[in-house]
Amino acid sequence: MKNYLVVLFILIITIKGFCQSNVNPDISLIGTFNTTTDLTKDSPDKGKINFEMPEMELFVDGYLNPYARATGNIAYEEGEFSVEELYANIVRGLPLETQIKAGKYLVGFGQLNIVHPHAWSFIGRPLFHQVYFGSDGFNDIGFNFSFILPTSFYSNLDIGIYKGDAIGHSELVEPDEEAIAEHRGRSPIFVGRLGTFFALSDYSNLGIGLNGSYGVHAKMDLNTLGDTTAALINKSLDYTYAGLDFKFKYRPDDYTVLTIQGETILNHRDVLREGTVGINSPIQSLQTINTCGAFIYVDYLFEKMYSIGAKYDYTNGIVDDAPGFNTLSNDDKNNTQGLTAWFGYYPVEHTLVFRLNVQHLLYHYADGITRDGSTNITLQMIFSLGPHKAHPF
Amino acid sequence: MKKLLIVFMMLVSSLSFANVKAVTTLTIIHDLVKNIGKDKVDVVYLCRGNQDPHFLEVMPSYMLKLRNADLVFEIGLDLEKWLPQLIDGSRNTSIQVIDLSQEIEKKEVPTTKMDARYGDVHPYGNPHYYLDPLDVKIMAKEIFDALSTQDPGNADYYEKNYNDYIKQLDAKIAEWATKMTKAKGKPIVFFHSTWIYFADQYGIKTAGFVEPKPGIPPTPSHNAEVINLIKKGGVKLIVMENYYSDSAPNQIARITGVKVIKVPGVYGMEEIDSYFKMMDYIVDQVTNNI
Repeated sequence: MKNYLVVLFILIITIKGFCQSNVNPDISLIGTFNTTTDLTKDSPDKGKINFEMPEMELFVDGYLNPYARATGNIAYEEGEFSVEELYANIVRGLPLETQIKAGKYLVGFGQLNIVHPHAWSFIGRPLFHQVYFGSDGFNDIGFNFSFILPTSFYSNLDIGIYKGDAIGHSELVEPDEEAIAEHRGRSPIFVGRLGTFFALSDYSNLGIGLNGSYGVHAKMDLNTLGDTTAALINKSLDYTYAGLDFKFKYRPDDYTVLTIQGETILNHRDVLREGTVGINSPIQSLQTINTCGAFIYVDYLFEKMYSIGAKYDYTNGIVDDAPGFNTLSNDDKNNTQGLTAWFGYYPVEHTLVFRLNVQHLLYHYADGITRDGSTNITLQMIFSLGPHKAHPF
Repeated sequence: MKKLLIVFMMLVSSLSFANVKAVTTLTIIHDLVKNIGKDKVDVVYLCRGNQDPHFLEVMPSYMLKLRNADLVFEIGLDLEKWLPQLIDGSRNTSIQVIDLSQEIEKKEVPTTKMDARYGDVHPYGNPHYYLDPLDVKIMAKEIFDALSTQDPGNADYYEKNYNDYIKQLDAKIAEWATKMTKAKGKPIVFFHSTWIYFADQYGIKTAGFVEPKPGIPPTPSHNAEVINLIKKGGVKLIVMENYYSDSAPNQIARITGVKVIKVPGVYGMEEIDSYFKMMDYIVDQVTNNI
């Protein structure tokens, strides 16, 4: 904490010293306060009101020069500061009208991941995002190259190369914690998105995208003989994500918006499986699994200040399991389904938001384990201080 | 072969041969550019005439409109906060932003530190100057200058169109001024603080606003204050843009008997296809009901 303050102080002094502009960047502060109640049957905390530690996001954003912007987002979550995003974006001036984004940021896999959770209509990351990208979403370090395609309608192609931390988060607590993730950063992952946008009428618009990601998610020394004295065989474990997303908005006037949004992902990957005991230990082998996830929601904003909505989620993997190599994105046996409903109140635009969110999760285990569904109610308050950008589609 | 020819002709006809490609943020500016640029300028707008210009969603289709434009005309004074995001998204390196507020005598420029407690206040002054026709003359001059600079070969053409338009506008200004003498000194309640330039031009007394603060939705307690104000002040009209909800004004009207006038922007209503027709509509509605 002390180190953060020292760094911040040095940054402020340095910026002032080397600044060639007397125009300050935009600074805004987002505060989120959640109060949750667990209504799960037999839960020790059933009915107890849990006042969570408030979360904060401090955004600093502005033009570096006529060609580039820079953004920083420092988050305070669960009692810790972290750099949520820090990137520069060359927005114009490059050949082929290319835009280049470099740093740490939310990766454009689907349309929801690039939107900060405080701007979502509901509370809680979609289940498949948690399983395949980790609890903080697809947030990674790398470069993205963006091109507008020469079509009569709007279409763009994004190609990125990343360290792969987010993929690591989908199977481990910390990507550097286990030996299997040692290679991360040396075997970068690739992400691509083909996005299209159609203005269906003056009042309705549709965005559709195809997403893909490919890379090595782990390297492992396999004991293929079940003999601890035998030489281990080093293997790379690949993964491929393919996704489809859409977002439809109908806005008949400035007070009413109907939004229907959905995303799906197909996960094709190599995973480690342990079979029967060989000479003195289980025989390890690689298998290829195919799993999937999806969500769809409907949100209806009326009178400009009220919104109601519902979401359905499905994903392979058990969402709130402690992450481990054979859970979450490597789990093709089990699945989680979620039903969510919410009511939002926006008294003055998005400067102050109140939300009541109910989520019910259903767990399905292939080996016959029975587990009651869990139900959570969350009351959320969000405030937004400072300038905020126009809302994207 | 015949089909090929038809396709070729369709393709050719869809190509634009205009000398200047322009985008306007508001439809009012679109009408002015269309009148001054005529067939030498290919112009499209972003915000519809029945849409709140304060809040426009950043949509890729707008970026596409800006992508190949030479000029984008804006009202300025922080009205179009969404424009920089759209220009960034368009990746257009050569587009020039023409801020039409440069020569306007600004009203309601804050003299003290402003913050969100005063509502959605524009820090550089009230941007709704386009409701004063004399300011529209200044806007037209800015547009003429920008087109002539961008396309000097047709400067004479733009000058002729500009002079023709100003001639028509002057005649309309005189006509509206005559009609509006009926409203001079009369009180009107407005929905949003859009109307100060209009009210000052025609000597209208601004009795109050339906919004408690600029951009802040009406509240029951403030509605009660407005009802009291209307009853005491002899107010006969509430004037509002047609993109705002008429729920609170209608509620006030039911209690006080005041008339609610909903005003469109250019193209914001059928038959309102020019600035002249928009102003005719406003002037007629006000003078017939005050």
